[in-house]
Amino acid sequence: MRAKGLLLYTGRQLAYTVPVAVAASVLVFYSLRVAPGDPVNAVLSPLAQEEARSALRDRLGLDQPIWQQYFVYIGNVFQGDFGTSLLNGNSVGSLLVEFGKRTALLAGLALLVTYLVAIPLGVLAAVKRNTIWDQGASLIGNLGMAIPNFWLALLLILLFSVNLAILPVGGSGSASHLVLPVIVLAVEGIAVTMRVTRSSMLEQLGQDYIRTLRAKGLSAWRVVWVHGLRNALIPVISLAGLRFGWLLGYTLIVEVVFRWPGIGFLLVDSVIRRDYPVAQTLSLVLTMTVVLGNFLANVLYAAVDPRIRAGARS
Amino acid sequence: MFSTRRSTHASALALGAERAAVTDIGANVTVDPAAADYPEARAGRARTAEAWRTLASNKLVLIGSVVALAYVFLGIFGSMLAPYDYRAQNLADALLPPFSGGHILGTDQLGRDMLSRVLEGLRISLLVGVVITSASLVVGALAGVLAGYFGGKGDKAISALIDITWGFPLILVAVLLVGALGPGLAAMMLAVGIINWAGFARIIRGETLALRQREFVEAARALGVPRRRIIRRHILPHTIPVALVMTSYYVALAVIFEAGFSFIGLGAQPPLPSLGQMIAEGRNYMLVSHWVITVPGVTIALIVIGLNLLGDGLRDIFDPRLRDR
Repeated sequence: MRAKGLLLYTGRQLAYTVPVAVAASVLVFYSLRVAPGDPVNAVLSPLAQEEARSALRDRLGLDQPIWQQYFVYIGNVFQGDFGTSLLNGNSVGSLLVEFGKRTALLAGLALLVTYLVAIPLGVLAAVKRNTIWDQGASLIGNLGMAIPNFWLALLLILLFSVNLAILPVGGSGSASHLVLPVIVLAVEGIAVTMRVTRSSMLEQLGQDYIRTLRAKGLSAWRVVWVHGLRNALIPVISLAGLRFGWLLGYTLIVEVVFRWPGIGFLLVDSVIRRDYPVAQTLSLVLTMTVVLGNFLANVLYAAVDPRIRAGARS
Repeated sequence: MFSTRRSTHASALALGAERAAVTDIGANVTVDPAAADYPEARAGRARTAEAWRTLASNKLVLIGSVVALAYVFLGIFGSMLAPYDYRAQNLADALLPPFSGGHILGTDQLGRDMLSRVLEGLRISLLVGVVITSASLVVGALAGVLAGYFGGKGDKAISALIDITWGFPLILVAVLLVGALGPGLAAMMLAVGIINWAGFARIIRGETLALRQREFVEAARALGVPRRRIIRRHILPHTIPVALVMTSYYVALAVIFEAGFSFIGLGAQPPLPSLGQMIAEGRNYMLVSHWVITVPGVTIALIVIGLNLLGDGLRDIFDPRLRDR
């Protein structure tokens, strides 16, 4: 029964995710194609002969109607052909792998740091409510949300890279290049996740089952960190689904600030330089990642909380 | 059906805890309408006094609100107070530290007065934040009230649209729009609007659903009051408290977003001095003269902290149940 409910729920979520993915891919495609300025100008000099221009346009398929270009493009994507960069002829597929690995590394580490710091801090703030611990956590939370991450990045660069000269200013190549970007990316996540953990934990601590567990003599530690936390984590998981998309967004800014050669860095660069095959594929991949991430989060959420599955049936 | 995930847990995610999850702001700023509709004027005065007491009892919130309002004032009248023209260059006086040469906050790399530039940047950042948040609020409130009040297929469609929209990274939408429209504040503002209406719509839809069940709405229906009038006179006014709380959080977020987006070079373009754009321009000089980035940065942080605290304060006033959380 339990597995069946979850399966049903997953099916419904999927039925909703697929059209969203298709609509998003169309929007991504069109928004980059209606852009002012001929992409041919990104490659050829404005003085190039008309023959050279039309030859290039022909090669890129730009003379076909736009809906046809869309289907050709999506067809190619499904065959693993993501196009080639207009500027340097690199295959977008290989760029995607090369830059994607670095983004995954950065974002993955940031997520790990976020949850390792935020959950214990949030629980601590809830347990020691209205003490200096709680106020300290709330201060971190407020600052973490109010300080723009790119500005925090600059301040950290000033402190650690310039004044103390112990960490690199930006770029990639060693583990030390990762320290500052990971911290900056994690700070905002810590602030938000900690607040949610705290209020969710506070709510759990007021429940009857907690009182029962305490009354039967279970150690305070077990009551809080095992029984309370298990239920308190449900909203944190729900938030994680949303945060996933936002993390990608923040990664983009942090990559630009630290010149970390990841997907976000490449995307901003390709949009500015009008290298539309690269911009298009990267946006498409990021969009699909978000859609898929939300889908997985919904399913995971239903798996931990039976009430959601029940809601889906009614 | 699509909104089950969020709505079931609305109460568990108490407070504005998720407010910085950008779209998730105010998910639980559910305001208890019972506390907000005594008909007697006496009760109204008592409520105002109570509101002041709430505000005064929390020093942090009081300070935050004062800071936020002061910045709004500076944003509106600041350009009149500016000691110099924010565009006036004077290379002989470039990168003067604060409190020197008649420049309270120093000068930037082109010798422009930092104070005048920050005041102008403040005006632009706040204007962007307020304009775009108002637009999102209007669209979101309309969609939310219609979906919540009428229900049915329209509600299903609007709720599905809300779910699709809100969880989507704003920055990605903005980058795509820059691809379509070119860099500038227009693309950035459009992106914020496209995403943020859904945040308002979600919450206001929930409020409307709850209000619809209330006796005074039922009474109005029974008396044959036209639907349009019920919505205008009985539903919309009661969604104002939640909308106010959310607005203060959303303006703060828009300010942060504008700064970040202008910083990576896709938002405000020089010579327009938005706060983020000033930091981007000053970046290359920060090693020798940190004030070119610290002054606008501190300004952003203070506005955002102020607005967030103002939001917390409004929430406490409108929903006494949440006060001591």
